[in-house]
Amino acid sequence: MTGEMIAFFILALAAIAGGVLMINLSNVVHMVVALVFTFLAIAGIYITLSAEFVAAVQVLIYSGAITIIMLFGIMLTRHERDTASKMPRMTVLLSGAGVALFFLIMFFGINRLSLGSPAADLHIENTKKIGVELYSKYIIPFELTSVLLLVALVGAIVLAKRDEEKEAEK
Amino acid sequence: MMNHLLSSPPGWIHAAIFFGLGACLLVIVLGFVTYAILAERKVLGFMQLRPGPNRVGGRFGLLQTVADVLKLLIKEDTIPKLADKPLFILAPVLAFAPAFMVLAAIPFSEHLKFSDLSIGLLYYIAISGITTVGILMAGWASNNKYSLLGGMRSAAQMISYEIPLVISVIGVILFSGSLNLTDIVNGQEKVAYIFLSPLGFIVFFISSIAELNRTPFDLPEAESELVAGYHVEYSGFRWAFFMLTEYVYLFAMAALTTVLFLGGWKPIPFLGFIPGIIWFALKFSVIVFFMIWIRGTMPRLRADQLMEFAWKVLLPVALLNIFVSAVVKELFLR
Repeated sequence: MTGEMIAFFILALAAIAGGVLMINLSNVVHMVVALVFTFLAIAGIYITLSAEFVAAVQVLIYSGAITIIMLFGIMLTRHERDTASKMPRMTVLLSGAGVALFFLIMFFGINRLSLGSPAADLHIENTKKIGVELYSKYIIPFELTSVLLLVALVGAIVLAKRDEEKEAEK
Repeated sequence: MMNHLLSSPPGWIHAAIFFGLGACLLVIVLGFVTYAILAERKVLGFMQLRPGPNRVGGRFGLLQTVADVLKLLIKEDTIPKLADKPLFILAPVLAFAPAFMVLAAIPFSEHLKFSDLSIGLLYYIAISGITTVGILMAGWASNNKYSLLGGMRSAAQMISYEIPLVISVIGVILFSGSLNLTDIVNGQEKVAYIFLSPLGFIVFFISSIAELNRTPFDLPEAESELVAGYHVEYSGFRWAFFMLTEYVYLFAMAALTTVLFLGGWKPIPFLGFIPGIIWFALKFSVIVFFMIWIRGTMPRLRADQLMEFAWKVLLPVALLNIFVSAVVKELFLR
């Protein structure tokens, strides 16, 4: 058993445990914290695949920014602290069957899948390579994404402004 | 020796050696924190025309912090009855661990570094973001309105100031063409980046003070409004962990500023006979002193001024800095 395997198993277990906890916990804030651990474990898996740039971005965007926005949303809105509900038996059985079917399909699919031999030099200067690819091959989608984000930003400001004006009228 | 360790194939012995070195670094950082707190109190004291700590440990109060830490460790550890217990316990850990993790990326001298990451700078920024989650969690788990307000303020402030902080560094990345902190220092062989992008340095320094939650940006723990902010309900060693986080980040941020803008371990011309690590320590101490100086000089900002300052002043200036840096690079560094 190599160190890489050990690292992979620990990280994979942490990711799965975080996901399972996220579904099973009853407190919303606890769920988000479980989700943080899943995100961090996935970032760790990226590192074992020597994609450190993607790992850093994963930590920065998902465990940093998105989690905090979710926490903000939860804390600022009124909500029931515990959201436990009972499901009818039929639903449980049906979803169990669905999960089993999905597992079987994925299991056989992955077993049959062959990705060819992996490229050996992907880890060398991969940050630079990502930059070059983004700004040469994928320049139009990249710029379009930035326009989309800008529109979202402006939209958010407009929505927030409208609320303020309404309150002022009152 | 460390360069050799970093480039040879990994094994269990490497893991053991790095574990030992990491423990050494932790001890050094704890020593720094002990005396940084003393230095802060002394400097603030001198600025306000009073002697500062001068009883425990001789004339200069050299053992004052040691006594304070001892007091903290033997204090009763209280957890409020209605607090969210697991999160209350997890929060100080989640806040402190990243503070120490970021130190792994920083090269202290040519031979003394713990990693040679190609994304060192990005690593620092990404990992330091996790602390915000810890602080927000502490604020929420305490089940106290003051700590919740403090935690919210802290998260809002850290997110807002992270943006100018990152954008102001882009100038440096443009000059060096790398995110590797060692390469960034090596790029400053002739001239430090503080002279090439002074605008970037100013924005970076201001945002780093805000990231550290220090005066004039210490709204998350504004004593006059929020008692103590997100750690109102903490006591004993859990509280000590938050204090430790703050000062370890001071260490890390001062080290990062030294590496990015002051040329790390590179000497001033004609003084190359002094070893690199001493140069690093000198530049580092200057930054720490500036931080303490500013704390003793500036009043606290108001919450609305704080956000406006980040978005309306620092962000445009940081964007301008990218443009100016690109022009400087094209004109002078080709």
